[in-house]
Amino acid sequence: MTLTILDNAQSMPYFLPETILTVGAMAIFVIDLFLQSSKRRIAIIAISSIGFLVAAAFATHYASVHPYVVDGQSFTPMQRPVGLFYGLMVIDPWAILFKYLSWVIAALAIWMAAPSLEIASERMGEYCALLLSITVGLSLMASSTDMLMIVIGVELVSLVSYALAGFKKHDRKSSEAALKYVVYGGVASGMMLFGMSYLFGLLGSTNLAMAGPQLRQYGERIFVMGLESGQFGAGQLALVLSVVLILSGVGYKIASVPWHMWCPDVYEGAPTPFTAFLSVGPKAAGFALAVRILYGAMSESGGNDLATVVSDVPWPVIIGVISAATMTLGNLAALNQTNLKRMLAYSSIAHAGYLLMGVAAASATGSASVAIYLMVYLFMNLGAFLVVGIVGRLAGSESIFEYRGLSSRAPFAAVAFAIFLFSLTGLPPLAGFVGKFHLFKALVDRGGSWQIALAIIGVLNSAVSLYYYARIVRTMFLERPTNLEIIPVPRSYNVLLGVLVLGVIVFGIYFDGLRRIADGALGMFGHS
Amino acid sequence: MDVLFHVKDLVLLAAEGGEAASHAAGVPQKIVEVGYLWLIPFFPLLGFAINAAFGHLIQRRFGKKYVSYIAVGAMALAFLVAVAAWIQMIGLPASERYLVNFLWNLFTAGDVQANLSFALDPLSMMMVLIITFVGSLIHIYSIGYMADDPAYWRFFCYLNLFVFSMLLLVMGDNLVLMFFGWEGVGLCSYLLIGFWYEDIEKAKAAVKAFVTNRVGDFGFVLGMFLLFWALGGSWVQKKNVVAKHERVWSQVDPNYKPVAQTGTFYERDPALSPQSSHRGIRIGPSLTFREIRDQLSSEETGMKERLLGMNFFGIPLLILAGILLFVGATAKSAQIPLYVWLPDAMAGPTPVSALIHAATMVTAGVYMVARLNFLFALSPAVMTVIAMTGAITAMFAASIGFVQNDIKKVLAYSTVSQLGFMFIGVGVGAFWAGAYHLLTHAFFKACLFLGSGSVILGCHHEQDMRKMGGLKRFMPLTEKTYLYACIAISGFPIANAFFSKDEILWRAFDSGHNLLDPSLGKLIWFIGWLTACGTSFYMWRSYYMTFTGEYRGAAGHRPSHGALATHSVGAAHAGTFNHDVLMSATVFDDDPHPDSGGVDAHAKGTAKHPDHPDHKAEGGHGHGGVPHESPGTMTYVLVTLAAGCAATIVLGFWAPLGNLLGIDALKVPLLEHWLEPTMAPTLELVEKRSAQSGHAWEWALIFASVGVAFLGWFIARSFYKDARSHAPAKLAAMFPRLHRVVYNKYYVDEFYQATVLRAVSLLSRAFATFDAKVIDGAVNAVAVVARFICNISGAADTYLVDGAVNLVAEGVIQTGHRLRRIQTGRIQTYLYAAVAGVLVLIGIHYLIR
Amino acid sequence: MNNLLSLLIFIPALGAGLIGVSLALPLRKEQRDQLARWIALVASAISCLIGIYLWITYDGSAVGKIQFLERSIWIPSLNIEYFVGVDGISVSLVILSTLISFIATIASMPWWAGRHEHHDPAHPHFSVVKVPGYMTMLLFLQTGMSGTFAALDMFLFFVFWEVMLLPMYFLIGIWGGPRKEYAAIKFFLYTLGGSVLLLLAIIALYYRTGDPETIQRLASSNPQAFQRLVSSGVWQHGTGGLQWGYLLSDGRIVARTFNMLTMAKLGQAGFFDQVGPILGGITFSKLIWVFMFLAFAVKVPMVPFHTWLPDAHVEAPTPISVILAGILLKMGIYGMLRMNWAMLPGATASFAEAVSIFAVINIVYAAMVCLAQTDLKKLIAYSSVSHMGFSMLGMASMTEAGMSGAVLNLFTHGIISPMLFLIVGVIYDRAHHREISGFGGIAKVVPEYTAMMGLAFFASLGLPGLAGFISEFLVLNGSFATLPWQTVLSATAVVITAAYYLWTIQRIFLGNLNPKYAHLPDLNWRERLTLYPLGALAILFGFYPNVMLRLINTDLFALLRSIKGT
Repeated sequence: MTLTILDNAQSMPYFLPETILTVGAMAIFVIDLFLQSSKRRIAIIAISSIGFLVAAAFATHYASVHPYVVDGQSFTPMQRPVGLFYGLMVIDPWAILFKYLSWVIAALAIWMAAPSLEIASERMGEYCALLLSITVGLSLMASSTDMLMIVIGVELVSLVSYALAGFKKHDRKSSEAALKYVVYGGVASGMMLFGMSYLFGLLGSTNLAMAGPQLRQYGERIFVMGLESGQFGAGQLALVLSVVLILSGVGYKIASVPWHMWCPDVYEGAPTPFTAFLSVGPKAAGFALAVRILYGAMSESGGNDLATVVSDVPWPVIIGVISAATMTLGNLAALNQTNLKRMLAYSSIAHAGYLLMGVAAASATGSASVAIYLMVYLFMNLGAFLVVGIVGRLAGSESIFEYRGLSSRAPFAAVAFAIFLFSLTGLPPLAGFVGKFHLFKALVDRGGSWQIALAIIGVLNSAVSLYYYARIVRTMFLERPTNLEIIPVPRSYNVLLGVLVLGVIVFGIYFDGLRRIADGALGMFGHS
Repeated sequence: MDVLFHVKDLVLLAAEGGEAASHAAGVPQKIVEVGYLWLIPFFPLLGFAINAAFGHLIQRRFGKKYVSYIAVGAMALAFLVAVAAWIQMIGLPASERYLVNFLWNLFTAGDVQANLSFALDPLSMMMVLIITFVGSLIHIYSIGYMADDPAYWRFFCYLNLFVFSMLLLVMGDNLVLMFFGWEGVGLCSYLLIGFWYEDIEKAKAAVKAFVTNRVGDFGFVLGMFLLFWALGGSWVQKKNVVAKHERVWSQVDPNYKPVAQTGTFYERDPALSPQSSHRGIRIGPSLTFREIRDQLSSEETGMKERLLGMNFFGIPLLILAGILLFVGATAKSAQIPLYVWLPDAMAGPTPVSALIHAATMVTAGVYMVARLNFLFALSPAVMTVIAMTGAITAMFAASIGFVQNDIKKVLAYSTVSQLGFMFIGVGVGAFWAGAYHLLTHAFFKACLFLGSGSVILGCHHEQDMRKMGGLKRFMPLTEKTYLYACIAISGFPIANAFFSKDEILWRAFDSGHNLLDPSLGKLIWFIGWLTACGTSFYMWRSYYMTFTGEYRGAAGHRPSHGALATHSVGAAHAGTFNHDVLMSATVFDDDPHPDSGGVDAHAKGTAKHPDHPDHKAEGGHGHGGVPHESPGTMTYVLVTLAAGCAATIVLGFWAPLGNLLGIDALKVPLLEHWLEPTMAPTLELVEKRSAQSGHAWEWALIFASVGVAFLGWFIARSFYKDARSHAPAKLAAMFPRLHRVVYNKYYVDEFYQATVLRAVSLLSRAFATFDAKVIDGAVNAVAVVARFICNISGAADTYLVDGAVNLVAEGVIQTGHRLRRIQTGRIQTYLYAAVAGVLVLIGIHYLIR
Repeated sequence: MNNLLSLLIFIPALGAGLIGVSLALPLRKEQRDQLARWIALVASAISCLIGIYLWITYDGSAVGKIQFLERSIWIPSLNIEYFVGVDGISVSLVILSTLISFIATIASMPWWAGRHEHHDPAHPHFSVVKVPGYMTMLLFLQTGMSGTFAALDMFLFFVFWEVMLLPMYFLIGIWGGPRKEYAAIKFFLYTLGGSVLLLLAIIALYYRTGDPETIQRLASSNPQAFQRLVSSGVWQHGTGGLQWGYLLSDGRIVARTFNMLTMAKLGQAGFFDQVGPILGGITFSKLIWVFMFLAFAVKVPMVPFHTWLPDAHVEAPTPISVILAGILLKMGIYGMLRMNWAMLPGATASFAEAVSIFAVINIVYAAMVCLAQTDLKKLIAYSSVSHMGFSMLGMASMTEAGMSGAVLNLFTHGIISPMLFLIVGVIYDRAHHREISGFGGIAKVVPEYTAMMGLAFFASLGLPGLAGFISEFLVLNGSFATLPWQTVLSATAVVITAAYYLWTIQRIFLGNLNPKYAHLPDLNWRERLTLYPLGALAILFGFYPNVMLRLINTDLFALLRSIKGT
């Protein structure tokens, strides 16, 4: 792949979005100081921070079309990826797509936070500022090619997340969640660093952009060494160890087995708007990273859009195993949860499993399907958490019993929730089906035996998942309410619900746009 | 197996016998297209439709007689059209007597094609005339008989529907349409037997009739299919299948298994597709009688040889097909083993018994065999089965008839017995004789039944002959007609039945190689001859018990009669047997069968619904009054039928006698001559096979039959005239067991109950349990297991971890520091898990490479 | 009127939308309910009328010609088209679905409710509970059903196929009987479990259509079939790297296609059988065949996948049972015919024998189970299982008569079984129970009802002159040629069926009148509106089946011929 390396000065315009958000985060703090605790302060803060995100979006667009000159003719990053800061990070369609996603997710999370009672009005500024800085971290994760940069991105996201997870000061669960998160995150990133150090040792460079060829050479080298010394073990083990350990860092961000365990506790403990953010944002970034490392770096072109795996690290199979384990365990564990947040936590684990199918396909179609799935997942999962927030707002608990007869207490929310849930199940004509369809398609197209087997496991899992999603629907529609009091829903929530529902249905019926975006986003990988 | 071979070479013997036949048989059958035949079934259908839709209104607004006008009118019109058709047919040369009226195509799927089109040939013409004429008479009779029934309109609309179906049966020009009628009459008989459905016993009898008939239909349909496909191809062995299939499939899938690898494969013979015709004969699979007949009875098609040589899984195909079809006949025409429904069917109103269960429907089986004579005649084996079944049934039923006291029951068993005679006729190749007996039977049995109906009505719905007697005085007209009908059935040469029955017996005696073995013919004749004696006995018995002596029913009938009806009572009587046994003996048969229906059923009826016949209309004929003659509508019908019994002698006047008297018209019986075109394909074949025993024998047999007729009459007279002799009771007392067994019809019903029905109900219950417990259980089990698994995996989350946590937490509960609580190792567990996971993955990596 | 089918499909959905809008209007509950009812009625009436128009104008003589065809690109990047149209195989079912939907909608109205009907406050009649929601679901269901039958693009087919699940789930789950939750989720899980496999199969087939190796293998192993495909324009020379491609409605030539007709052509040329073994040596076509068959077998339902049906039927409100038995069950057979039979004839050939055995089990086993039922509705549910077996038998027989009978059976059973369920509904509305033993002798008080019941029962037990007979006769006759023993076994059901129906009649209608029901009201006009048309059709098809056969046969026989490759 041809990657144009820019020096720091040239890089700045392309780094504009992150800059804006960093400034924005600080600005919010300042605004926060000057605002009295008035009715409108929440609104002001929310709107201004969303404003910053919008600005960032424009900046992203600007960055994506800002031309640069290479030996005579000029390109935009969309045409030809560009490496910033001497190749620490890269601006390419893939990165840009995930930047946009991060902005959207953050904006929605702020929108959700505004009327929520979990976030006291005087701490709104704090919340927004932290959220913005996490967003910066996300975009770094999405765009960095250098291992150091990756670590920085991951850590930035993690550290701020700890703070937000424990946001509810006087709530045991919240603080407990935060602390677990801290420890777990620390160890996970430690593992990742460890793995990276190995890889650095093996390749002699921290830059993954060129890892592919080097890995192949390394593979040949240890093969030769093996022939001489008669022992293949050591070099091989080092390679595998590094790969798996790096995976563990990513796996922790996307909450896949066996790095999922923090997930339910943290989701349950954190304030709902942030949980919603957590269930989508870091996941998306994590997958961006995973695809960039595995499909982008650790494989080479191999005929009709299928990647051949470089060297003898069969990561697709490993990912396949993780995927199967993740979705199965997630679904089964979700079956008899009575706390909705926990249930959704497990469901999001299961969805991480589905998404990994796309990665395991190790093909452009697979990577594209991951992108597509994340785009639709954003709508349905945020929507689901939004409804949880709405109900929790009044009831103060997420127990499933609060949802009895919701259809009569908050009809619109109930209907919307049903739509989100069935979309998560993957029933047409809802967006979730489109996502799943592409994931399965990717695997079947790949066509090997274990791919088919994985696909079968996948479809059976989605059949199983119906059971607990339908259980919620049953509680909302088929059971009589315990108390008939109407649940008050803020208008802004209704609007947001409407937007999300619309997204779920529209993308379910016409998803050509999604496909084009996703296919376009794959431009950067030299092979595909 | 060698039996089968024996059968087979006899079948082949049939083959060369057949050659000559086809020349006489006008092949291909010339037809005359006409446009009005549909009117014959249409009028009854119309009558049904009108009465079904508006009958109750008409009855309420304008009164019952308008209902009957519609019904009877429809019948009369149908009869007129039939007569018109008859006249036209007479005008035609014998070979062209085949009127066809095509309406529309029912369905066409590949070779399977059926049209809604009617055909009349001499045989079906005869049937149509019988049905419409006797039918009309019985409609008229019903006007009087049902006069007091509130559901008058319903009765007539069922009756019309029945006639419609019956006409479909006989007029349909293909097997499918025949099957329409075949099941249609079954439906109507169901509806009419259960006409007084408030009585559960009658309802049960109806169900029994329909289901039993369905068993027959099962065979009929399969026989139809077997014949149909045999005409177009054959079932070949596996090797050929594969070969055949290779050609079709091989390019599709190299390693496929052909459809029929584990079964048979039906290979179509392209030369025999129904399109391919040969000198105007459509060759190939067909459901149309005419086409089957043509290709079977003409030599050039070679179809006959094909079928004769063809096997279905080692069984000669013709034998299998013939027997399957005959199974259908046994159900419809109440032969062993499927006769059981007919006696119960007497639960229906008496006109129904006369029309459906004597004159028309029950003869459908005989008609079918006669219609397919060209098929049955080819296989002596099947012919033997038919004839023997007929003979055995005839004797068996007659023997039951000896001891019945319910007048209708006697007639019912006599019907079964007479049908047996008909089957002897068609079984030994005397198709015309069978048909003739069918005709005569239609008259005398209708006369008898309607007579009994008149008697029953006269005695206020009493059916027990022991409570009648001396009715001669009260109802002279009924008595005379009944007397003449008795003369007819018991075979005195002054009424029609003598000629038909005797022809049958003679042809049986003379059948020779039409059956598997010539000696069988003699045996059958002997059985028939004995049965004739029996017939004469029980018929005269019924006559004397009913009409002579003193009237015994003055006390009116005993409402409690049905109450006794339990087996326990029967058992109580089993040991001590006295004169009263005759009375209590009825008890046996009241339960479990609805047989002696009329009596107790009506008794119950009184209690239940006051608006039942003869219950509100005291004036008409109340309880306990003296017997009285029935209204004119009924008696005149009786007279007409009796006259018919005399008139129809002409049709089958015995040929030798005709020669003797030198009347040219009678040298060949008219009916035989008339039916020749229908029977043409088989005439010479049968003739050729027959034993050709001379006229001397014929004369001898006649005197023998007349002799036994007299014998039977004499015994009956001495036993039962004026009820003065005690011989019957003595006899019964002498052989109590025998009497009881015979009285209870040899416990056949009980036998079926205990075996077939029981097995089915057990099986069904077993299946239902299996379905609920095992299959559905498995489904639910899956759910349970899933929950179980998820509990386990949930345990990783809750029990294993939280449990440990809480356990430790107990220790530090009072110190509310969350920090402590979180350092209690829960998070460490997580991390251990993570690390372990990493190691596992590395392990996996090594496993898979 | 070239978008007639789309109207037929989407007018109900439109109605549903209108009902949704009407909720926003400031109306009282009663007005709102009435409005919803009328919208639903009008919508389904319109689509029913279009269905009848289809029936009249469909040209049965045209061979292999898709009529009322609509085709336009839907998802260009995935070659998914909005492609609907009817041919001999689907036309009868499209008509049926609109017809039965309309009947069901009428049956959902509370009109002329007798005093026996809605008087129980604890358990109000389904037709007065949450009416707008009910009607919306009903309408969506209709769209899903007619769409499934009309779709000729596999993706579209699957979408419609799944769209039906949700409304059905809610209709059973919310407006159902006592054990509604259980029944609803059971139905849902069962069907979804089947259809996810169908999804995989669809994707696999789609992917294979563009597999150059397979094309090469076909070209080498069976050149004339290959040439036939090329000359018939199934395969076009593609542009760019693409050697062979498929023509889309927007003029592009693409590598892969979801077009069911194209797939059928490929399959009948033996294309899919050229794919090498997968998943440890299983032939591709056989694996896919099994996947699809399982999905459809659940819908049929085929023993042992049938246990959702009795529960669903018993719990569902009458109109929903009507739709379940009348239309949903038919989709299983339709799917088999469209996909398993048409697209994978090779695999079908090897499985036909097994299918026939399952068919026999369906027919006889279910009939036997009927004999032992005590709940009238359950009995009829099982009888449906038994009758669908005939369709499977006919298809397995691979003879003209068999296939024709199988498809006709879908229609005739689609007329009769709704009648039966309506009849159960009538008695249930009045007596509030369905225990067969709980009645007796009611023929005396409800003669008209008894007459309709008799008509339906006798039609269902295959009495000649009524609809059921023709199809059963054709099936048995056809299958006797190739599957004699299976036919003999199945024919025993003729007796069993008669037995359980007549026995039921005897226990419910004949004998002494149960005094409890001495004042049972006879049919009211709503029930007449639903029962009489069906009864009339049952008789019409008994004596003039060609009304439908002439639509069906031409294409069906063409399909059969090309399946057999002769």
